[in-house]
Amino acid sequence: MKRSRRVILTMMGSAAVGAVSMGLVPRDCGPGGLPVLTRDPDGRRREYCRASYGGFGGAPFRFHGHAHAHGHGHGG
Amino acid sequence: MQRILCPERDDWRVTAEQTGFDFHSIDGERYWDERAYYAFTLDQIERQIETPTGEIDAMCLELVGHAIDDENILRRLKIPESFWPLISESWYRDEASLYGRLDLSFDGRGPAKLLEYNADTPTSIFEAAVFQWTWLEQAIERQIIPARADQFNSIHERLIETWVKLGEGRPLHLAGTTESEEDAGTLAYLEDTARQAGLATTLIDIEDIGLRDDGVFVDLDDRPIELAFKLYPWEWMFQDAFGARLIKAPTRWIEPPWKAILSNKGILPLLWEMFPGHPNLLPAYFEDDPNAARLGTSFVRKPLYSREGANITLVGDGVTLVQQEGPYGAEGFIRQALAALPEFSGQYPVLGSWLVDHTPCGLSIREDANPITGNTSRFLPHAIL
Repeated sequence: MKRSRRVILTMMGSAAVGAVSMGLVPRDCGPGGLPVLTRDPDGRRREYCRASYGGFGGAPFRFHGHAHAHGHGHGG
Repeated sequence: MQRILCPERDDWRVTAEQTGFDFHSIDGERYWDERAYYAFTLDQIERQIETPTGEIDAMCLELVGHAIDDENILRRLKIPESFWPLISESWYRDEASLYGRLDLSFDGRGPAKLLEYNADTPTSIFEAAVFQWTWLEQAIERQIIPARADQFNSIHERLIETWVKLGEGRPLHLAGTTESEEDAGTLAYLEDTARQAGLATTLIDIEDIGLRDDGVFVDLDDRPIELAFKLYPWEWMFQDAFGARLIKAPTRWIEPPWKAILSNKGILPLLWEMFPGHPNLLPAYFEDDPNAARLGTSFVRKPLYSREGANITLVGDGVTLVQQEGPYGAEGFIRQALAALPEFSGQYPVLGSWLVDHTPCGLSIREDANPITGNTSRFLPHAIL
């Protein structure tokens, strides 16, 4: 709305192409979802969406602190 | 409102890639499409898009204030009871929102109609805030569009201003599914704006968030996560392994938990109940409400939780016209009056009206050859003429 505005990126773009130039694709599963391509028994390609592998707290080793009391895989 | 054909910039792909906008095409198909643009008058933008956007947001906030302590509503929205206190506390603590996007049907003549509110995890903000502005500047320079052209777009500077307010000197973590390339791009852009606001930032995959014995969420360096932006839906947070730990953890989340109410399609019938006949709303009912019969045999059926047009069905005269497949619908459906999208040269545009800190501040347009805007839609720029 103000033609004098300047839109500047400090991290994205040329200076940080390596960080974000990963062949970004348009949304197809919604945030947090990942597309998975498979083939049906008849050979037809099928695409479906799955949630990220573990989600929020999905990696049990992510418990911190006095970890021995929790061990691995007792996340809950 | 017009759809105007125009020449594309010869070097737009290079420009896109230089700014980090690598998802301009997919499988050889355009996502960014500047072979045409949508033109609006200033009056259309100000009176028919900007003002109603602010009004709809205000109605949504009124709805949340009404719903927050009403267990009947929370049950209708299928929000798990164990998270009601988290949602309620975030509301009464006045935890702030960063952004949201209203999807509107608008033909340039009648009032814009709310199709849905992407209140929790809206995407396409980079192309809306940055790349379409770059297009405007270069298209004027190259005499592709008139020199007087302008754009409804102050998203970028509003984001920076709002981060200053939200940060309050705290470090910010930005969490999401970094394996998803578009999520990573959206997080990178928002991180860029937060850094410009002076915040110290850390990017983290949602899976890498840890939990300390004292109930504090931590990052990979065991630093407490005080303030976190999450590009990950609340309804998934609730179901995931750490969901039950949210209520006692001191982390402040952006978007806040009360946005779980507004990201639910059940707000459409609730808004219609609270503001019947409002010119910017479409009649809508929960599917199990006998009043849904008032819509007759033509309606749109939407799951309470749905993204990217998934599991949405268009029914006309009792016949399914278009149906999008998807994984949603277990929690139930709503029905909304059929508001046929306007057609411009065989394309159906949906307007995305952006709010940052509850201020309407920008417009994006996705068009599709299909009347349900889904993941094959293309992003077209707009100009005010």
